[in-house]
Amino acid sequence: MLGFIIQRFLQAIGVMAVMSLIVFCGVYAIGNPIDIVIPPEATQDLRDEVIRRLGLDRPLYEQYFIFLVNLLKGDLGRSFVYNIPVLELIGGRLPATLELVLISVVSASVIGVSLGIYAGYRPESWTAKTIMAASVLGFSVPSFWVGLILILTFAVNLGWLPAGGRGATIDIWGVAWSFPTLDGLSHIILPAINLALFKLAMMIRLARAGTREIMLTDTIKFARAAGLSEITILRQHLLKLISIPIITVFGLELGSTLAFAVVTETIFSWPGVGKLIIDSIAVLDRPVMVAYLILVAFLFVTINFVIDLIFALIDPRVRRGAAS
Amino acid sequence: MRKHKFLATMALVLGLTATSVASAQTLTMGVRGGPESIDPHYSALGPHAEAAKHIFDTLVWSGTDLQIEPGLATSWAPVDDDTWEFKLRKGVKFHDGSDFDAEDVKFSIERIPVVSGPTTTTIYVRRVADVEIIDSHTIHIHTDGQAATLPNDFIRLFIVSSEAAANYSTPETAAEGFNSGAAAVGTGPYKFVSWEPKGDLVLERNDDYWRGKGSWEKVVRKEIPNDSSRLAALKAGQVDVINYVSSVDYLALENDANIDAVKGDSVYIMNLQLDQRKKTPLVRAIDGSELAENPFRDLRVRQAIDYAIDRQTMVDIVLEGLGRPANQMMPPGFFGSNEGIPMPEYNPAKAKQLLADAGYANGFEVDLYCTADRLPGDGAICQGLGQMFTQVGIKTNVNAISKTVYFPAQARLEYSMFMNGWGTLTGEASYTLGGLAHSNNPDVKLGAYNRIEYKNDDVDRLLQTGARMMDADQRRATYEEAMEKVMADKAYISIVQLQTVWGAKAGSVEFTPRYDEDTLAFFIKSAN
Amino acid sequence: MNRQSTPFTRFWNEFRENRIAVLALSIVVLLALLALFASFVSPQNPYDLANLSLMDSRRPPGFVGTGGYTHWLGTDPQGRDLLSAIFYGLRISIQIGLAAGFVSLSIGAALGILAAYIGGRVENLIMRLVDLQLSFPAILLALVIVALLGQGKVQLISALVAAQYAYFARTAYGAAKAERGKDYIEAAVATPLGSRLVILKHLLPNCTPPLIVVATVQIANSISLEATLSFLGLGLPVTEPSLGMLISNGFPYMMSGRYWISVYPGVALIILIVAINIVGDQVRDQFNPRLRR
Repeated sequence: MLGFIIQRFLQAIGVMAVMSLIVFCGVYAIGNPIDIVIPPEATQDLRDEVIRRLGLDRPLYEQYFIFLVNLLKGDLGRSFVYNIPVLELIGGRLPATLELVLISVVSASVIGVSLGIYAGYRPESWTAKTIMAASVLGFSVPSFWVGLILILTFAVNLGWLPAGGRGATIDIWGVAWSFPTLDGLSHIILPAINLALFKLAMMIRLARAGTREIMLTDTIKFARAAGLSEITILRQHLLKLISIPIITVFGLELGSTLAFAVVTETIFSWPGVGKLIIDSIAVLDRPVMVAYLILVAFLFVTINFVIDLIFALIDPRVRRGAAS
Repeated sequence: MRKHKFLATMALVLGLTATSVASAQTLTMGVRGGPESIDPHYSALGPHAEAAKHIFDTLVWSGTDLQIEPGLATSWAPVDDDTWEFKLRKGVKFHDGSDFDAEDVKFSIERIPVVSGPTTTTIYVRRVADVEIIDSHTIHIHTDGQAATLPNDFIRLFIVSSEAAANYSTPETAAEGFNSGAAAVGTGPYKFVSWEPKGDLVLERNDDYWRGKGSWEKVVRKEIPNDSSRLAALKAGQVDVINYVSSVDYLALENDANIDAVKGDSVYIMNLQLDQRKKTPLVRAIDGSELAENPFRDLRVRQAIDYAIDRQTMVDIVLEGLGRPANQMMPPGFFGSNEGIPMPEYNPAKAKQLLADAGYANGFEVDLYCTADRLPGDGAICQGLGQMFTQVGIKTNVNAISKTVYFPAQARLEYSMFMNGWGTLTGEASYTLGGLAHSNNPDVKLGAYNRIEYKNDDVDRLLQTGARMMDADQRRATYEEAMEKVMADKAYISIVQLQTVWGAKAGSVEFTPRYDEDTLAFFIKSAN
Repeated sequence: MNRQSTPFTRFWNEFRENRIAVLALSIVVLLALLALFASFVSPQNPYDLANLSLMDSRRPPGFVGTGGYTHWLGTDPQGRDLLSAIFYGLRISIQIGLAAGFVSLSIGAALGILAAYIGGRVENLIMRLVDLQLSFPAILLALVIVALLGQGKVQLISALVAAQYAYFARTAYGAAKAERGKDYIEAAVATPLGSRLVILKHLLPNCTPPLIVVATVQIANSISLEATLSFLGLGLPVTEPSLGMLISNGFPYMMSGRYWISVYPGVALIILIVAINIVGDQVRDQFNPRLRR
């Protein structure tokens, strides 16, 4: 087991190293931030001065090396635009994204899995068919469009909920959260629904497919033959069996939702990390872009690592397979 | 309201802070752009300076119509050809209680080149060679040659405390020092409380402000870049005032009893610019073949283009009423604007005739470039121009693009026909004509924004004399003459002057729109 | 009967049983035809500035404009007939979806089959890369690539391909790997001239059904992704708007009640994507032997 963990850990570090190189070169090789950061009327002297100050006069490998050294020290550089450490900039906006993503993914999972199990358990019922039809919609309709319609309906026409922004926050352990306040909750509802819909559709489909396959397996047949009640079968066997793929997807989705929040945050002016990255792309604020991508990569590598570990714990075959 | 009060109480009881708590004494403004730092010397961008004006003062104040008025300096006068004397206001105190004096001015001016960010604030002190302290409230500014418009340069020269900012005046320390509040000590109407990049700037009243006490105990400046979101926030009561209501929403807002819409003239004018080089890249014959010469060098073609523009339709339809037809590069009444210039006529038949006279009876094809995301309506005006030119036979391919692509390419002279807004932010002509209409000549520091290689020797001469004239009336006449000549050449064709709209809860506030579009809490009075 | 026994007719007969899927398919075909013949069915060429008049701008549905015909879905801020703009926008959206779909299909399938065929280090390297990319959200990848490459059709398609080829690679790899393990393939590889034949005759055909399924879904995804990028301001230039761009351009007008500029292109986009997805669902169910009755 320890060997497996070490092997996966080394792999994860390797992946991070490769990712940092790709991200750095990708962001730095193309596009010239100088033209965007400096006003067009700037003199040549000034241009040179700014280029020097931002460290853009050094060769690429040197910039990468400096970046790596700083990265290992936990320093991801300073924003070109705000001249403050990037980590501070991202960290200040992380809680907003985190609370939005967590609320969306958790509610999407709970509701989605329940509906999905039902749809898989009674596939021919009308309810199941309606659920599936709705899930096709949830899957297909682009998220930004749903956002527009939500705003149009609930904010502009009905006036029930705010159209955007984050509500009042309170500090818990030095971090500002908005979900514990009424105002904060009212602000979070629409973006959370918007962000959750796609995940909801996905969870429904996954749980349904899993349920349908498991219901056809011998385990269930034997259980039924043994005279176990349907509720017991659902609880004892089905939930256990479909939990593995669901946990995997939950983990992966948590990460991808974090990234997908870019769209929702833009539509609802949610002051999170996704909005920050969109703004930074617009002005080619390289350090912010690089830092964000590296952090996302780190997140994914970590999630994958953790999922691997959980799998290995649950299923001994994975362990043996990897070690051989 | 009750909900908010409850939250405020709850936050207080728990020892927590609530960020958006509205009350009668609080003004919450929803603004399109925010500062990039609390260090006022970091950036020259409009929203940055606008935010800084809440906390800091300038030596010279720029009034509602951009005329210059006393600020922290009570008076100024040239001592000799390259020296200006500024008398400083006495009895002014910084937020930390220390006195304002000449040392702070010298410190601020000398600090700028060190801490300025990429959008450089050094333009405010570009003419300053040396600062000499005469006594605690008198300074002499020595300039590099005659600098007739030095006081105009100083309208965004913010004065910081030489003591509070002493340890925060290197590129590495400035942002931290100011953003944390340690160095954010000014003499302005509001004191700094907190700021989040792209988020809220929270301020509290400076009760000892030398202009008097402001209407609001607390001011929250929320950055909401999206036009629709900002308006939605106002409608939902989350903010009291918003700036830059888009032309799209203006008409609907006028009919909304819950919202007051205040319309003001903007300093921005949309100018079409026609490349005057012998060879220009993005023009061709209708069949795609190369033209013998650049058609824009022919005055008749430029006049035809002018006749093809229906300015009234641009205002009424494209901007939905939010603008005025423009006939020159500055708004009327500015120092150097010429009232004698007639409003160009819309006459497509004449345009076609002139094109035929110039040898382009079949027209030609051109790629028109402009910004689509910088000023209200810029992309739409551009597409409107495309239609109007196409209808007189100049086949126009419209490229309304992001400003981040447009300006670098424009600076590299890659375009033949292009349009963007220009704001005469200083309120006088040397800024606009000196930058755009003089041939590009770094030796005399003129023509730096002339991207079409426009050159008229008479204009060059007028602008060079104007820059050295210390007598204001003579200078005004000189610039008016230059303006007339430039507009007659029609290499620059002004199309519309924009207007800006503020929205506020009906009957809640009173304020006068400013030409530079700044939204300043101190000048917004409570109507109750 | 001979006609009924070909795989295609059998497939079609089964497909026909699901009436919703048939309806969806006919909608897809109809929209594709409208897009293809946009220049014939549109009352106006929305890209020809000589045809537009500012006087017609932002008119509600049913308005008779200066052109003398009725704008059934209203006009946009430039005086473009929205119905025409939607037809042309469909064309651009479908073009981009198809182009991105086919390029990612080709690259992905080639990589996947190659990995399965060669095995060993190459297999490991390719599939590690693919898995890594699969765990990375497509939207973010596309966003960054478009931001870096700049605006334009080719750049946009490249971004979509980069974001999507991995799905195809994974699918092709899975199918090919299963087949590769079988004895007859081992035998065929051993013969001279074997490898190319094996890939063409055995591996590729076996990968086709799952690849078709993924392709339908990914074409819909490309269209949706393109619309999202356009909405975020990173799509195609505004002068030749795709459906996403039309929606984005109309969005500011929502607050002032001029909903049609944004809503109708949105409805068209959704109908297109939902229809493709329903067809894709049916095809997948038919290819999935485990769900066969």
